[in-house]
Amino acid sequence: MGPEQSIHIAILGGGRGGTALIELFTRCHGIAITGIADTNPDAPGLRLARNLNIPATDDPVSLVSDMTVDLIVDVTGNPSMPALIERHKSARAEFLGGTAAKLVWSLIQDERDLYEHLAHAEKLSTLGTFAAGIAHEFNNPLHMMLGFAQLIQDTQDPASVQEYIQEIVKQIKHLSNMSTSVNLYARTSAQGELVPVQIPKLLDEAVRMAKFSTILDEVTVIPHYEPVPDIQAEPGELLQVFMNLIVNAVQAMNARGRLTLRTCMENGSITVSVEDTGPGIAPQDLAKIFAPFFTTKKTGKGTGLGLYIVDTIIRKYGGRIEPRSEVGKGTAFRIHFPVAGLPQQTVPSSHPATPASI
Amino acid sequence: MGMWPFGHHDPSRASMGRVLIVDDEENIRRVARLTLTKAGYEVIEGKDGADAIEALNSGENPLLVDVIICDIRMPKINGVEAISYFRSQYPSVPIIVQTGFPDLNLATSLMKQGVSDYLVKPVENEKLIAAVAKAVEGREMFTT
Ligand SMILES: Nc1ncnc2c1ncn2[C@@H]1O[C@H](COP(=O)(O)OP(=O)(O)OP(=O)(O)O)[C@@H](O)[C@H]1O
Ligand SMILES: [Mg+2]
Repeated sequence: MGPEQSIHIAILGGGRGGTALIELFTRCHGIAITGIADTNPDAPGLRLARNLNIPATDDPVSLVSDMTVDLIVDVTGNPSMPALIERHKSARAEFLGGTAAKLVWSLIQDERDLYEHLAHAEKLSTLGTFAAGIAHEFNNPLHMMLGFAQLIQDTQDPASVQEYIQEIVKQIKHLSNMSTSVNLYARTSAQGELVPVQIPKLLDEAVRMAKFSTILDEVTVIPHYEPVPDIQAEPGELLQVFMNLIVNAVQAMNARGRLTLRTCMENGSITVSVEDTGPGIAPQDLAKIFAPFFTTKKTGKGTGLGLYIVDTIIRKYGGRIEPRSEVGKGTAFRIHFPVAGLPQQTVPSSHPATPASI
Repeated sequence: MGMWPFGHHDPSRASMGRVLIVDDEENIRRVARLTLTKAGYEVIEGKDGADAIEALNSGENPLLVDVIICDIRMPKINGVEAISYFRSQYPSVPIIVQTGFPDLNLATSLMKQGVSDYLVKPVENEKLIAAVAKAVEGREMFTT
């Protein structure tokens, strides 16, 4: 479906309903959000919209009078809203409000709960396979700390004592970094808490985390980080995205090869790419890899949820992911994120909004 | 060749025995080396299975060792592969597994393959010395 066939939707109400609608609509192909309005300029839905470069306004009238709007969804709960909209909307725009809008919203809530269960299940299954790796990664430094501590007990030489203490301190720092990473990953984040995230830093973090699930010693990690602006996101979610892509790449390469991580600006969007020198993806599989439960891995090895979760999270942030693969050569997953929050965005009244349909 | 690479140690050698420690973490090898050297053992190191096998087979004569301490999760040739190689090539040399994996199934299967001890990191230095002493003793009882 081309963008000209998209359904253009205006959302009224920036509370939980409006936020949920944005999250859902940005994940749907063929839907473009013309804008969102709420009289409170600080409503969470408006903040989310600004981050996704979706026009946000405190003036519902200007939004509904946009001629390109096909459907107006009112989740304000304001009894005088339907009459106001009726006076200002274009003749062709349809209106969804009252109980019907509530029904849509509760269906969306349901869908979101389901997705969250899946995302959680995927996390748990990954954590399950990580458990052994995590134990290993923690027990090694503990072993060194115990060993050096006991050597200190038996040593008279002050220089050796100093040196062993330094080793212990080093291992404590290492352990504490790892526990931060694990926490960040495992934490089911508070809803919608977005913070500025430095993508290159998170990519490095993801590489460290990937060590819990595969041996990376014989993978050459090549970072190519060009400066990119921070992105407003839940860090745990982006970590899940990058880790899934990295683990897939390493598994595809059978733990041997080159893993290239890139960040750069491309056509005004933030681009992240994860590239491997694995066997590639067969053309007939390429269309299926993002579907839930599609896997070519042995039962017990893969759930097939990895890329589904990756795609869903990326869409939530208004981004998109595209795989490029050449059989026998390797695979590259490229992610494009919009640059967030250019200040003072208002609803453009003449030209159609596009951001959600990218 | 008919010649057994792992004979009794040379009495002129003042050591309590020679230990090969295989671990990919340098500091873990170092702790083992410092601990066991203090306890009177001679220690050689391998940073992974392949490196250890090479260390044993390099030089004019195959190296003589009395005990092998081996990690499981390592690059190149991992511990499980290395252990089955050691068991087939040098069946009389006791092997102590020292690993970060508290994996009961793996421990059982390795013990069945003749591994003499399965130590889960973190391991106290005294415990490692005791395990090595026990293994060397068992080997002496076995070969004399
Ligand atoms: N980098 C890659 N190279 C080759 N094939 C890949 C790559 N990434 C994904 N695939 C293919 O896509 C399929 C789906 O990947 P996805 O991450 O969704 O699930 P999975 O890795 O099989 O299982 P899980 O992620 O739950 O462990 C994989 O089974 C594999 O066939
Ligand atoms: Mg996967």
